[in-house]
Amino acid sequence: MTVDSQGTATADPQDAPGRAAGKSQTPPPSSGPKEVLQPPRGRRSLPSGLLPYLLVAPALLSMAALLLYPLIRNVILSFQQLNRKEFITRETVWTGFDNYTELLGDSHFWTVVVRSVVFTAVNVALIMAIGTGIGLLLNRLGKKMRLVLSLSLMFAWAMPIVASVTVFRWLFDEQFGVANWVMRTLGFSGYEQHNWFETGFSTLVIILLLLVWGSVPFVALNMYAGLTTVGTELYEAAKMDGASGWRTFWAVVFPNLKSFFMITTFLEIIWIFKAFAQVYAMNQGGPDRGSETLPVYAYIEGVGQFHYGVAAAISILTIVMLIAVMSFYFRLILKQEEEL
Amino acid sequence: MKRKLIAAIGVAGMMVSIAACGSDSDKGKDGGKASAGGDKTLTVWVMDGSAPDAWMAEVNKAFEAKHPGVKVKVEKQIWNGIQEKVTTALSEDTPPDVLELGNTQTAGYAVTGGLADLTGDKATLGYDAWNKGMVASNELDGKLYSAPWYAANRVVVYDKAAYKKAGVTPPKTRAEWIEGLKKLKASDPKSQAIYLPGQSWYVLAGLIWDEGSDLAVKDGDKWKGNLSSPEAAAAMNFYKELASYSTAPKDKDEATPQQSTDVVPKGGVASWIGLGWEAGGAIDAMKKAGKTADFGYFPIPGKTADKPGSVFLGGSNLAIAERSQNKELAKEWLALAAGKDFMTKYAAATEGALLPNTDAAQFKPAAGSFAEAMALSSASGKVTPVTPGWANVETAPNPIKDYMTKVLKGEDAKAAGEAADKVINERINQQ
Repeated sequence: MTVDSQGTATADPQDAPGRAAGKSQTPPPSSGPKEVLQPPRGRRSLPSGLLPYLLVAPALLSMAALLLYPLIRNVILSFQQLNRKEFITRETVWTGFDNYTELLGDSHFWTVVVRSVVFTAVNVALIMAIGTGIGLLLNRLGKKMRLVLSLSLMFAWAMPIVASVTVFRWLFDEQFGVANWVMRTLGFSGYEQHNWFETGFSTLVIILLLLVWGSVPFVALNMYAGLTTVGTELYEAAKMDGASGWRTFWAVVFPNLKSFFMITTFLEIIWIFKAFAQVYAMNQGGPDRGSETLPVYAYIEGVGQFHYGVAAAISILTIVMLIAVMSFYFRLILKQEEEL
Repeated sequence: MKRKLIAAIGVAGMMVSIAACGSDSDKGKDGGKASAGGDKTLTVWVMDGSAPDAWMAEVNKAFEAKHPGVKVKVEKQIWNGIQEKVTTALSEDTPPDVLELGNTQTAGYAVTGGLADLTGDKATLGYDAWNKGMVASNELDGKLYSAPWYAANRVVVYDKAAYKKAGVTPPKTRAEWIEGLKKLKASDPKSQAIYLPGQSWYVLAGLIWDEGSDLAVKDGDKWKGNLSSPEAAAAMNFYKELASYSTAPKDKDEATPQQSTDVVPKGGVASWIGLGWEAGGAIDAMKKAGKTADFGYFPIPGKTADKPGSVFLGGSNLAIAERSQNKELAKEWLALAAGKDFMTKYAAATEGALLPNTDAAQFKPAAGSFAEAMALSSASGKVTPVTPGWANVETAPNPIKDYMTKVLKGEDAKAAGEAADKVINERINQQ
């Protein structure tokens, strides 16, 4: 995220953090007639002409090629029957909304939808809660411990997905897994050869652990970065008023970092909802299709079962659902935009 | 506050990227065939473990000598995920010219029109001499789409030392088999009398055939799953009894972990059910680990001593892609490789562990070898239902595997069978 506000060359005496003071944008009355020449503040006026377009062109073009084009193809595909036969013979069979009506009338599809939504909600709640907690902790720690904690967070964040899934698979392995060993050592019975991937639910719980573990660093480090912008005097003031830690958080930290919480939550919703590699690599959506989330369902229908049309329809419906959720976010943003 | 808008656009972009991981079928990839100057390359896809390197080199040498300027490029593929790969390959402009296809999957590709029709080439390919049991999977609606290459079936591989210690000799009937497993368990409770993962569905298929039934049956002009039948339940019950002497995972097949190289060499397995290349792989892996394998082999016992248990006659066919740029060359290569001379060499190179496509090329297996046990039971060899839709049944997630896991975990065989049949019915009649 860019931190500077763009553009204006007028010196804005108070930029952050309390925006309330800056609400009236009238420049301070000049005390004397032109005594000092105002030095340009780092930035000149925006370049005009073709240059800005040239600069954004590569990004836009690559977006169009890598996202927009596949998206359009995907929409087209979702109105076709494209099974193995059509795939090989390159026939185009238009079926209108058949894929959609078939899906929307399929109880399996709705099971997967509910599962994905619940799974995302639990994940995001945990990630936000734990991430915020660790972020607060980072802010309070001494230099050395903070370094150690940030480093370990960075390592978790930097771990490649499939590698981390493999590690988790082994942790929960039926025969050699450390999880079974721990349970046995703690004196629980029935963990001789406990199969952690026996049901879709327990498989999803393990995936949840992995996703939370992998996503918490992002929230925690961002939270810490955000906290550094909250002036210490605010805490001091809160302390003077005798506010508890809980109260301080809700009265000082939360309002100050509201936009941080909002964007991180929505980013996490998107990430978790579309998490594919973790879910698929853990148990291929099994057992008995019990841990399939929407992206995995689309993959198995498409690549596994050769029903590419149906798979395209699933992914379009997934996008529609995300857009529905995200529209709240966009509305909030636009509303704020108007207020300012 | 433009940055918020920028962030919002970023969010929107990320959402859209979901579509990108949905399904973009990447057609028309350039295979880089037919290089300039009249030189041609014939690409052959074979599966890992199918063709001994020396044999393959000899075939290609003979072929290249006959066709100057033509080079044969052999590309080894692995079975895991092969259907996706072959489907994509057949949709391309420059597919591999010759492909090895599993015999249960061939009809599924034939019906898509992706394979060249070889009906007119029966004479050059030596159709009449082919093993009759192996021909069926190559034909669809009276047309020939591939040539049989080899077949193989599973036998029981046992550790001679463990059997000797427990005083067990190779059984002839199911009752003797279970009796032996009991003794093995008693003599060494720490090791597994038999390693049998829960989803070894080809083994289950054999047991169902032993009951005189099948995985799916034809009902009018439609097929339907048959796992809810009492015969399937009886077969599954026997499987469950066998599996009770194993601590193998109930929700895995024999390839994850690979039983031959990842499980057996670690020790503690008195017997297991495997193919010739798996036995070979286990022997090699043990050699590498500084151990010596002392394996004996016997056919999967039948219900009575006069007939060994039914086994799935797995195997491969060689087909030519319809879009091959070098169809005529591909046919000639096929006739050469699957012809009697090279099949004789093939049988010898594999020491009989793989049955060649014609009896005339048969290799006399050594006494006590895997091949000997395999030849004994190949008489009771059968294949999965011959219908194009069968390939759909085998795609992941395989309903038969899920059925097995459920029953092994205590679910009622009939209920689990009905759930599996529902999936099979949905898939098997699709083309």
